[in-house]
Amino acid sequence: MTGDPRAFFALDLGAATTAAALIGHVAGRWRLLGAVTFPAGVPVPAVLEVLGSRVTAADAELAAALGAAGAADRPRLTVRSTPPAALAVVAVSERSLETLGQAADRTGWRIRTASSERLDPIALTAMLLDPEVSAVLVGAGDPPGADERSSLGDLAALVAATANRRPDLTIILAGSMAGQAPRFESTAERAGEVILAPAAGAGSPPAGPLRELLERARTWPDDSRHAFARAVGTLAETLDRRVEGIELGLDGAARVHASPGHGGGAANVQTAVLSTAALVPPDPDEAMVDRALAWSTVRLDRHRMRDRLRDLRLHPWGAIPGEGARLRLTAARTAVARLVGGTPELSALPPADLLVVGGGAWAVAPGPAIALAVADVVRRPGACQLAYDHARLLAPIGAVEDVAERRSLLADLAGDLLLPLGSVVMPQGMRAGKAAGRLVVHGATASSQLDLVPGGLELVDLPPGENAVAEFEFREPVRLGTRGRHFAVDVAGGLGGLLVDLRDVPLRLPDRPDRRREVLAAWQDALWTGGEG
Amino acid sequence: MAGRAVDGRRGVTRATIGRAVTRALSNEPVAPGYDLIPARRLIEPAIDVWFPLRPGDRPRVASGDAVTPGSSVADRLRDPRIAEMRLRFGGRPGERWSREIAGGGGGRRTTHQEGELLFESGGRWRIAAGDAHEPLESPVTGVVRGVRPGIALSVRTSGSALRGVLALGDATRGRLEIATDADGEIRPRSLDVGSAGAILVVGARIDAEALTRARAMGIRGIVVATLPGKDRRDYLASEARQRAALHRLQSFGVLVLHGSSRRPIGSAQMRLLEKLSGAEVALVGTPPALLFDPQGVQPEPDPPGTVHIRTGPLAGRTGRWAGPAGLRSFAGTHLEAGFVRFGEDAPVALPLADLERLR
Repeated sequence: MTGDPRAFFALDLGAATTAAALIGHVAGRWRLLGAVTFPAGVPVPAVLEVLGSRVTAADAELAAALGAAGAADRPRLTVRSTPPAALAVVAVSERSLETLGQAADRTGWRIRTASSERLDPIALTAMLLDPEVSAVLVGAGDPPGADERSSLGDLAALVAATANRRPDLTIILAGSMAGQAPRFESTAERAGEVILAPAAGAGSPPAGPLRELLERARTWPDDSRHAFARAVGTLAETLDRRVEGIELGLDGAARVHASPGHGGGAANVQTAVLSTAALVPPDPDEAMVDRALAWSTVRLDRHRMRDRLRDLRLHPWGAIPGEGARLRLTAARTAVARLVGGTPELSALPPADLLVVGGGAWAVAPGPAIALAVADVVRRPGACQLAYDHARLLAPIGAVEDVAERRSLLADLAGDLLLPLGSVVMPQGMRAGKAAGRLVVHGATASSQLDLVPGGLELVDLPPGENAVAEFEFREPVRLGTRGRHFAVDVAGGLGGLLVDLRDVPLRLPDRPDRRREVLAAWQDALWTGGEG
Repeated sequence: MAGRAVDGRRGVTRATIGRAVTRALSNEPVAPGYDLIPARRLIEPAIDVWFPLRPGDRPRVASGDAVTPGSSVADRLRDPRIAEMRLRFGGRPGERWSREIAGGGGGRRTTHQEGELLFESGGRWRIAAGDAHEPLESPVTGVVRGVRPGIALSVRTSGSALRGVLALGDATRGRLEIATDADGEIRPRSLDVGSAGAILVVGARIDAEALTRARAMGIRGIVVATLPGKDRRDYLASEARQRAALHRLQSFGVLVLHGSSRRPIGSAQMRLLEKLSGAEVALVGTPPALLFDPQGVQPEPDPPGTVHIRTGPLAGRTGRWAGPAGLRSFAGTHLEAGFVRFGEDAPVALPLADLERLR
């Protein structure tokens, strides 16, 4: 962004989705004037033209004052998804490979692993020469084990020979492998870097420094997931609340946990980016098909489900009317489940007060259905507010380098960019089969009450902008943040209202497919307003 | 059908794309918002195709060499193994290595060994070597752009390309034959040896049994709209079993144009394939494409305002853009949409994501 603009565009250019928002300075603060979402492939100037004309149609006077019409010369804040790249992780022993693989796993790379203990030099060389591999992480124990020492030089020589044949390849030497650095030529014509990295187990938390290095080696400077993580941190500082962010796209997903710093300091942010938690990985495996079948309300055999997932990968926005949107949300559920399952260290942190979801994967689902999808797979006992980054503004704001400017922008825009989906209250430890107690929701004007039935999912109408106190009286002690029988929880409204989720934590679904589909349909149908089912 | 009619007025027929219609439509103004539809090329001129090489494979060509269909570009090494030895004159990774071993006395023949240098460690080179090679023939005419041993060699083709989304099997070449219409399906028993040497266009989908039979009949390739994942897997397993046997298979390739779930071949692609019927074409895997000589078969460009439906229940059809429809609800989901007119029918609103322009 340059100069002192009165309006600017925020662009998030994803692998499948182009999101554009127009931000204007109105009455002394930044406001979201309009946002549009199109499939990637629609030319950006045409997208901005539509956005400008819609803002003008909505408020011609304001648009004229801000100069909203005419997209070409407007300043832009742009982020984009870094295209996925493959990282070959190689080690001398299977033991070292496991440690290295775990470190690399949550850094957004598509990982291929091999050890010289298992793979012969021809197969290992072929793997490293594969043009899809753009970097190699090579390591051994630090210090190397007795069984590794004899093979260390051979593996280093093999990787060095490959680097010689592929000057574009980035080589990352971790731990004791850094001692082999002299084998790697560093000539002017070599485009790929040779990087010395800490050992997989080094640092606090363990593998933290190596992960950070691997993330930096993967991403472009305007990477949207990196910017999203930074914005979630700033949001935690601005709201002074613990915030969790889940960003889900075609090629990967990010999970961010941010706690506000003490005394207005910088937030403590922990991030994981998983390529395996993409909406649909390039070649869906059996496990992914199984999970999709488990969450699907559409009757499909496993072969057709695999075909539908493959087609979803090819055309993420294709055939959405009818079953397409539900299939995409099913894929989103399985992706978030993989993301949560793949980041246990983030699940171990204190629960967030606010969970923000973002990314193109959600773009075709109604807000309440998104809330339920998240509640289905992020199973943490407690109470949490859900919000949706509907205009995909967080990542562009995260791209603002200056901390103070970013905080000020986010403080102005937080109310506009976070679409409240509702609140989820999820107690744990209820006994099945009998009424577990009573809930009274004290709203601004009226109160409502309902019986709490274990295994059920209750929706209490609580519109966006409205706050209430939910008073729970359980017959037996349950876990809801702490253990007890009587709780009063402040809840905020949203498109999905208040979701009182009395289902099991973790969620258990019926084994029989037809019964499971019935149960899922019963939960989901009410939230797809206007849908055909 | 998704969407609904804007009004009940009847228009003129637009779906028939003959020369007269093309000329007439070329002069008609296009409704606004046409640039909101993603555009891609139907036919790409002179693309680079890649032939993957594995360590030990022996390239037969060098950068700048001209290749023609049937010319050998590399020898693929079967069952490579590692050889270890000291080299008197050194070498670099990726270079070829060979030696003659004298047969000794008694008139025994000398043996020839060769391979590809992988890496040197402890003063000894590891070499990818082996005894049996299979020739890799170029299915296309073009010029070799680069040779990277162990990685790939690339050829800049002199023809044009129709891209697909997936290719299986080998690069291959043959006479193109239309076996079914765009929405058809071919049964294994419909295939016979009369099509040997041909590349067949088989409509909406094909199963693994028909693919296996096609190869057994000497058919050189298949072009199909979709290939279900199960049939893809079954066919690949069958091919792997065949390859494990020690006899050489003739080349056979499959080009999938659109995806996995059944749908017809797009009307624009089908028109082109019909024009190519009887001509020699090639199928390549990287990128997945059908290559052909464009001389005399260049299709008329689409009249301005033409849209092709790439996904959804109307996939494969062609219509005319009738303007943006804004954000519309489709079965409870709000999507950016546009109006499309099919023939004389009133325009219908379709999600923009289901549309494309083909240049």
